[in-house]
Amino acid sequence: MKPRDKDTVESHGPAASPVGPDAPEHFGLRVRETVSNYPPVEQWDDVVMYDAKAHPRKVGRHYMLVPTTCFNCESACGLLAYVDKETKEVVKIEGNPAHPGSRGRNCAKGPATINQTKDPERILYPLKRTGPRGGSDFERISWDEALDTIAGRIRKAIQEDRRNEVMYHVGRHGEDGFIERVLLTWGVDGNNTHTNICSGGARFGYSVWGGYDRPSPDHANAKVILLLSSHLEAGHYFNPHAQRIMDAKVRGNAKLVVVDPRLSNTASHADEWLSPWPGSEAALLLAIAAYILRTDQVAWDYIKRWVNWKVYLENVHPELDKEDFEAFKTALTADYQQYTFEFAADECRIPAAQIEKTAKIVANAQGKLAAHTWRSATAGNLGGWAVARALFFLTVLTGSVGEKGGTSPNGWNKLIPHGPNMPGGHDSWNELLWPKEFPMSTNELSILLPHFLLEGRGKVDTYFSRVYNPVWTNPDGFSWIEALSDEDLVGCHVAMTPTWSETAIYADFILPFGHSTERHDTQSYEQYAGKWLGFRQPVTRVAREKMGETFTDSRDSNPGEVWEETEFWIELSWRIDPDGELGIRKYFESMKNPGTKIGVDEYYGYIFDNNVPGLPEKASKLGLTPLEYMRKYGAVEVVADLYRQDERALTPAEREGAVPDENGVLRKPITMETQKPLVGEPGAVGVILDDGSEVAGWLTPSRKLELYSPSMADFGWGDLATPCYIQSHVSHKNIDESNNEMVLVPTFRLPTLIHTRSGNAKYLNEISNKHPMWMNTKDADRMGLVTGDMVRVNTEIGHFVARIWSTEAVRPGVTALSHHMGRWRTNDDAGSRWVTGKVDVGKMEDGRWRLRYKEGVKPFVSDDPDSMRINWEDPGVHQNLAFPVHPDTQSGMHCWHQKVRIERAHEEDKYGDVVVDTKKSREVYLDWMSKTKSGPNKDGLRRPEFMMRPVMPMRKAYFVDPPESGSPQE
Amino acid sequence: MRYGFAIDQRTCIGCHACTVACKTEHDVPVGQFRTWVKYVDKGEYPTTTREMGVMRCNHCTDAPCVKSCPTQALFIRPDGIVDFDNESCIGCKMCMQACPYDAIYIDENTHTAAKCNFCAHRIDQGLEPACVQVCPTESIWMGDIDDPTSGISKFLSIQPVNVRTPEQGTKPNVYYVGADHTVLDPLAAPVQDTYLWADADPLRLETAAELPGDPLTNARLTLNTSHPRPWGWRVWTYLWTKSIAAGALLLGALLVIFTGDTSNLVATMAPFTTEAFLVITSALLIWDLKRPDRFYFLFDPRKINKTSWLALGGIFLGLGAGIGGLWFLAGAATWLEIGDFSMAITWLAWPAVPAAIMVAGYTAFLFGQAEGRDLWQSPVLFWHLIAQAVMVGAGALLLIGFVVAPEDSTMIWLTWALVAGVAAHLLITLIEFGGKHPTRNAQIAAHSITHGRYAQQFWFGSVLLSFVAAVLAGLTLFTDSLIFVGVAAVLVQVALVFHEKVFVMAAQDPPLS
Repeated sequence: MKPRDKDTVESHGPAASPVGPDAPEHFGLRVRETVSNYPPVEQWDDVVMYDAKAHPRKVGRHYMLVPTTCFNCESACGLLAYVDKETKEVVKIEGNPAHPGSRGRNCAKGPATINQTKDPERILYPLKRTGPRGGSDFERISWDEALDTIAGRIRKAIQEDRRNEVMYHVGRHGEDGFIERVLLTWGVDGNNTHTNICSGGARFGYSVWGGYDRPSPDHANAKVILLLSSHLEAGHYFNPHAQRIMDAKVRGNAKLVVVDPRLSNTASHADEWLSPWPGSEAALLLAIAAYILRTDQVAWDYIKRWVNWKVYLENVHPELDKEDFEAFKTALTADYQQYTFEFAADECRIPAAQIEKTAKIVANAQGKLAAHTWRSATAGNLGGWAVARALFFLTVLTGSVGEKGGTSPNGWNKLIPHGPNMPGGHDSWNELLWPKEFPMSTNELSILLPHFLLEGRGKVDTYFSRVYNPVWTNPDGFSWIEALSDEDLVGCHVAMTPTWSETAIYADFILPFGHSTERHDTQSYEQYAGKWLGFRQPVTRVAREKMGETFTDSRDSNPGEVWEETEFWIELSWRIDPDGELGIRKYFESMKNPGTKIGVDEYYGYIFDNNVPGLPEKASKLGLTPLEYMRKYGAVEVVADLYRQDERALTPAEREGAVPDENGVLRKPITMETQKPLVGEPGAVGVILDDGSEVAGWLTPSRKLELYSPSMADFGWGDLATPCYIQSHVSHKNIDESNNEMVLVPTFRLPTLIHTRSGNAKYLNEISNKHPMWMNTKDADRMGLVTGDMVRVNTEIGHFVARIWSTEAVRPGVTALSHHMGRWRTNDDAGSRWVTGKVDVGKMEDGRWRLRYKEGVKPFVSDDPDSMRINWEDPGVHQNLAFPVHPDTQSGMHCWHQKVRIERAHEEDKYGDVVVDTKKSREVYLDWMSKTKSGPNKDGLRRPEFMMRPVMPMRKAYFVDPPESGSPQE
Repeated sequence: MRYGFAIDQRTCIGCHACTVACKTEHDVPVGQFRTWVKYVDKGEYPTTTREMGVMRCNHCTDAPCVKSCPTQALFIRPDGIVDFDNESCIGCKMCMQACPYDAIYIDENTHTAAKCNFCAHRIDQGLEPACVQVCPTESIWMGDIDDPTSGISKFLSIQPVNVRTPEQGTKPNVYYVGADHTVLDPLAAPVQDTYLWADADPLRLETAAELPGDPLTNARLTLNTSHPRPWGWRVWTYLWTKSIAAGALLLGALLVIFTGDTSNLVATMAPFTTEAFLVITSALLIWDLKRPDRFYFLFDPRKINKTSWLALGGIFLGLGAGIGGLWFLAGAATWLEIGDFSMAITWLAWPAVPAAIMVAGYTAFLFGQAEGRDLWQSPVLFWHLIAQAVMVGAGALLLIGFVVAPEDSTMIWLTWALVAGVAAHLLITLIEFGGKHPTRNAQIAAHSITHGRYAQQFWFGSVLLSFVAAVLAGLTLFTDSLIFVGVAAVLVQVALVFHEKVFVMAAQDPPLS
């Protein structure tokens, strides 16, 4: 197949942009002959579009095109909302050519946003529960009542020194920096995330290498793209990455290697698809590493300069001279030769020849290996973090780190512009989030919250579940239900959500917040070798303001009383501290009009004026203020083509006052009150390398890439301190085929759905609405099963009942059930009928929980005639309920894969049944906890200071018994 | 100037952004699609893969939908886009039979035909179609394929390119680069019980076993959309009622011409039968329209499309109704002794013959325009329809004869006509189904009739019942007892209904996408 040569086809693609490189829309605007993909920016305030349904009659309507960013996934791709200037309604959503990441293009979920905002069952008003928690009975209340109640509780908690009983638990962030600031102003160590069911495992593997917790692969320029993921259909950052992966593959002849036990759409495009046994991936990668080492195709110069090889020698080979690089080369090579192709083939159960072939492809990357794992094996397996560690090892060996076409750390391709008047750190440590058993967890142990609460480690006074559905999305949902139902453990539960969810029905308040087109946020994500900032805005408010109206509150322009969180948190904080005596109010005061609340224009205006490099200049060239610029274009590129920031020379401001330690790390003086940075050790600014260069380096303690992690040794994991292979809990050694045991992969995603937030998007559901359990034909035959047969899938704590699909699209030994389905509601008022079935959920006589469907998905009457056209009926199987928590011993990441035993459904079983014994959940939890090694280290340090921690506290919080205030510490 | 699409399946990731962008652009009802992505899984693990194909209207140069639309609701623009005007559409679904690509659907909101129209409303404003704009990997190209310097032409000139089912001869203008044959060929990948994340529709499941498939790769359909049969019981029923109307007119006229019989049966009951059954036929036709309120468009000479056999057929129905009507009036007036119009009847008999032939036979040309239904595009269909008209027309007139009691010779004449009609029907059926059809689509449909899902109805209904009727008619001829042919007269009606049913149903079964 000949490559698609853009040079001979001038008019196709961004190369043929009709505007110059300074025009913000140049990223995605294109013209082919006479046809363009977007109207010119000059028309965006008044575009006349012909009505599609009136065609061929030319009925023009006037629209204002207002940019925003998508809220459906973390990619935050650019969108343009078409606001009808007469009705003031959003009628359609397209992409934004001015967005540097998405470049005017979107996945299916972008345009489908209009379904979510126009959903006839949408929650439009604040709700308060009227029956018991989980009773699904709610009444409408005013925002004032909600605000006053919640603010009152938080104020009381702060006054009574129970700050850390306030918890904000976020699923989909969609923004950077805002809520962290709010929590810092409250002095609350209360930021909980979902990340330990998501990417926490991979983040550990990346963090111990370089401090930064995520990779930023430069796909567009790569020669070899190695994905342990399905980035052509899902994940962070699907659309922007898929664009660039395909560019590289077809235009640049890059090789695409995909590792996945299932034939994903991504795997179908791979030049090489490997489907190793789940959990064996690190063996595969280390066999490739071993090949690169023994064939001496290693970027040794890079390693000599940037990897902590001396520390490696000191700890792994104390018998050798730690200054002898040649000895290191020999030793490192020898150390990894145990990972032969045959060894890997045996662990992976794939042919050694295929592993060898892949090794040759990777070795040939010549510094352009763009490698990525986000969840996948790192999210599925005990020791999954070692997969990310091994993957980055390949990037190091091939000299691809930070290079064009290689893999950079996310921090170089992202910026978090802070709000005004940033608070300093708090001094407490919330052990419900960061327990001692997991001193190195990359993220909060959110999966364990119900167990912590139920075993009495603490309580939560006010709990915000924010765009998050832990009852559904987390493992062990019945334990969540038990904890959330207990008003002594969770005093007040506030669900902040744009849509109904299985968690919201256990809340006391349901507060409706806006979707992509109805809220303000800023965000920035590492999607290519540059940095950009995106701006989400309530588009009808912006449009109406441009048409002459004035707004002080987005509720006045959003549907119903849907609000935006920026204004909500400002208002709530004000009500927590109305007279300022708690020291909170001042952070939410206008700088222009002290004593009054800050508004969104001023807040974001400040950020854009002060904290986004280059934006003021770009804006003024176009005669705009920075805020006007962002409102007009929706995004700005801060820098392009950024590589090798480890070699960045320190600025005078950085260098001033910094003193090198015995390892050459430049450190400024710090105290116990110094606030820790988001990533990196407080005070550390850079490193002096052997040749005297004073550069920024990395964010590890050594400011270098740590092949040997002293931090891991420090916390008791010295034997795992180098890239290694850990046997997964679902290793084939643990699976007894004769007992019909298999590995269940419960996490694969679809390109059209997004967790539980796309449930009310009719155009997405009509494409993807069935939940068969994939199983290789050989396994099905062996068990006497055919497609459609109902099976009981037994886990450690219970079972669920599914129907199988006998297919060649998954490797033998593995069964896979996709993530998004199994949605439920308990009545017809509290749950999206586009996607849920009606269930009975409760405890049976023997004390076990059971969820059973009474009804599947059915057509329903609503203001949208399409709701009567529903032609799908499968609600799916809520498998997550039957999974106990599996916190990985080092990273805390939930290990999703399950060892399951398959049997034919029993006579009493019904499709979609889930039965769980939460006593067994508790036993499994305790079993996994028993494997841990608790902190603090010998110095009383709870956690390595360099690892990422949002809502950054003062240093003293890191110590169990902090030394006297004021005394300097290194 | 001719706009066309190129779909680069090498870069298409099957994400359905195009599907959804199009839906939001045109407010397409749930369950219906102008463009969609088809998935086919091939191979056995570990050499399995998934092929994808973007399916939509091909904006054919020789668009059969345009040719066959009776009201010009579908038309080709000067820039080559095949567009439609939903204010002209009467919802007859002829276009859906004409299209060999499953491109058209009847919009559940407007009850009119709709399909991809290249976002002509956007093109007219210098904007790309919504699908082109949204595609993350820029896999959908568009441009002027008549201009060799356009981007799309240059791209397609140097790449290996395919189109869907070129043998239909419609000259499709959606070109595929990197598309696997299992995705382009609708018969290559049957569904195996289910799609990967949706249910296959009932028709897809029913027909799966009949497809030749692709044994080398065991290609199986893992995602697609539903395209139910556009025509159902109203259509095969009207074919029967029209057949009676035509047969009564034809046989009545032949009786007049060859026997000089202008007696009651012939004079009034034959044309009365024609008129009555034409009314029923028209009622069924109008009832079958999705916009029955617009049926009168077919009478508007400004609106109708003179290349559409549905429109022309309407004219022939009108012609038949006119001649039959005049004849009926003449006969009724004579019978009521208002005057003697026997000469008029004798004169009317002559144009009545070709009119009746066309009333029966125009369907062959109409079906001939159904590029999506190869079974219907049969060279023997014209003659078959006439034979069927003779068969059931004779039966109807015989049954009426039992009431109005004409001369025995007339009844015997009609009995011979019935026998001749059945003989011709069976012979042509043998010709139709005995040999090998020229395309796989037709073969599959025919096989489902002779051996498959419709076999019982076909062999018992169409063949056996008509054969028994002929035998019974023969008995009447030997014994002069009319009771036998009376039964036969009923049996041939049932036989034709079964025949039309299986013929209409089966042709719509083989998948087109």
